[in-house]
Amino acid sequence: MRDADLAIGAHHPRPAKDWHLPAPYDWRAALAVLLIALALIWSGNRMEVGKMLSLTGEAVLSAVGVQETSQVGRGLGRMLGALLPLVIEDRQEVARLPGLDRDALPLFTRIEMVEVTTFRMNAETLKAEPQVAVKEYLVHPFGYLIKVLGKMVETFEIAVWATIISVILSLPLAFYGARNYTPNRFTYSASRGVVSFLRAMPELIIAMFLVLGFGFGAIAGYLALGLHGAGFLGKFYAEDIEAADRKPQEALTALGAGKLRVLRAAVLPQVAPSYVAYTLYILDRNVRMAAVIGLVGAGGIGQELKGRYDTFEYGHVGTILLVIFLTVFMLDQVSARVRARLIG
Amino acid sequence: MMSGAAIFTAAQAIGGGVQPHLSFRDLRKVYPDGVAALDGVSAEVPRGQFCVVLGPSGSGKSTLLRVVNGLTELTSGRMQMGDAVLDRANLRMIRRKVAMVHQLFNLVERASVASNVLAGAVAEVPFWRVALGWYPNALRQRACEVVARVGLDGIHLPRRAAALSGGQQQRVGIARAFLLRPEVILADEPVASLDPAISREVLGLLREAAREQSATVLCSLHQTDLAREFADRIIGMRKGRVVFDGPPHLFDSAAEAKLYEGLTAQVEKPNAEERAYA
Repeated sequence: MRDADLAIGAHHPRPAKDWHLPAPYDWRAALAVLLIALALIWSGNRMEVGKMLSLTGEAVLSAVGVQETSQVGRGLGRMLGALLPLVIEDRQEVARLPGLDRDALPLFTRIEMVEVTTFRMNAETLKAEPQVAVKEYLVHPFGYLIKVLGKMVETFEIAVWATIISVILSLPLAFYGARNYTPNRFTYSASRGVVSFLRAMPELIIAMFLVLGFGFGAIAGYLALGLHGAGFLGKFYAEDIEAADRKPQEALTALGAGKLRVLRAAVLPQVAPSYVAYTLYILDRNVRMAAVIGLVGAGGIGQELKGRYDTFEYGHVGTILLVIFLTVFMLDQVSARVRARLIG
Repeated sequence: MMSGAAIFTAAQAIGGGVQPHLSFRDLRKVYPDGVAALDGVSAEVPRGQFCVVLGPSGSGKSTLLRVVNGLTELTSGRMQMGDAVLDRANLRMIRRKVAMVHQLFNLVERASVASNVLAGAVAEVPFWRVALGWYPNALRQRACEVVARVGLDGIHLPRRAAALSGGQQQRVGIARAFLLRPEVILADEPVASLDPAISREVLGLLREAAREQSATVLCSLHQTDLAREFADRIIGMRKGRVVFDGPPHLFDSAAEAKLYEGLTAQVEKPNAEERAYA
């Protein structure tokens, strides 16, 4: 037998010089690249990619001082200028606070006098004349920031509950949507259909419908995000189950274990790292989207954002955007650590 | 080829008239593409025997093993374990008495040695225990015993299976198989991916551990030297048929030549699949 092993090379029917190792690309690959390039050129025209590049180029040139002005630079500059300075204080007219005790102001607050000039029509001269009135404001230096942070906490709660709902809904969807675990073709198609539907419906639209049913507030928000997230998690959970190494699953099946036990003992340990990653991504996405669906009255910081934007209070808008950014950034740091700990 | 009568006599000589533990009656397995992996296999294996199924790749030895625990469904024929005929109704019951050791170990690589071994009881404990990974105390103690029995140490318990060498991984596979004191061990090419020295250690361990609890072992191999060294009995298979059945001392070079005749170029090379594990 050993001799036979050694002789195997020599016994091969064809000498190596007759072998053929094909090139990695052929004319079909070239054709595919050509077709994709043509499609991108066609689409690039429709999407005004050329204009985008020239305007961006101008903006960059004007920013470094080569060119005097640019349309994009002016527009963006105006917008950024409006967002700054960020408003973090909260001010209320004292006249509208009848119960205010001037000798015992709330913590950190102060009273500010502001001269307000208004123009009134003088009935005799028929001219607008300036009138100076002094208004008193109760100012809380961080009042608005605290309010925004409170809204952000509410937004985060919406995101957490949405994630919990997504995970709970997507576990059965993943089981029925995994080709190697679903009981029959009907359950497979049904699960895949539900998952695609949930993913296809934009959360903004789901939230609008749910607001009609559940009223304004957080319920519509986390239900909408939870349903959409289930469409995402159901798909990826299922595909990971399908791709998991079959060998340990066969080993446990051979021991007489049923499907659920095999899933728990042989599949879950394999897919756990990616499940953690997907779920943290959904949490991250829910925090961001919770800010958006607030626009349709589904609670959270988005509702505040929409209100300030509609009343042109861009300083407040700036504060909100900054708080959202810092929250997402912090969440990213935390989730990176959680993943490292769970996966490592 | 041996005559049917000769096979019968050889089996009688080995079995010594005791009621067979496993009995195969005219097993046939034809795959949808028309290939007959088993083409009329009959044999009886007495309790406690270390029976090696020997043959070149594609001879049907893996299929024969997989018939015993129902991983492969028979086209025709009858597999019997004790008094129980393998069918859909008592498949679970038979699987619980049969453990398997796999060529590629089939461990959950990311899971710890301890949970891989405990997974051997996954069909026996309530589902909530499986779900929480919280196995009963007695079982955890038993897991420690079998891990010690296969020559691993307590420090290996929390390690990931992937962090072990190939030989150690197969020891974990054997520990998992022995966890619930099975009556029958099916070892499907258990050493095909191990180097020769480790192969001898692992096969010796498998034989001793099985003997201690008088488990019957059906072990497929393609290395004739290992088969001669470890088997109580050799069943030689070729193209789905039994061409030799007898004790190792009767498996002479003529029998070996018959088993591999005309297959020299296709003989599975042990070296090709070996991985250099320490």
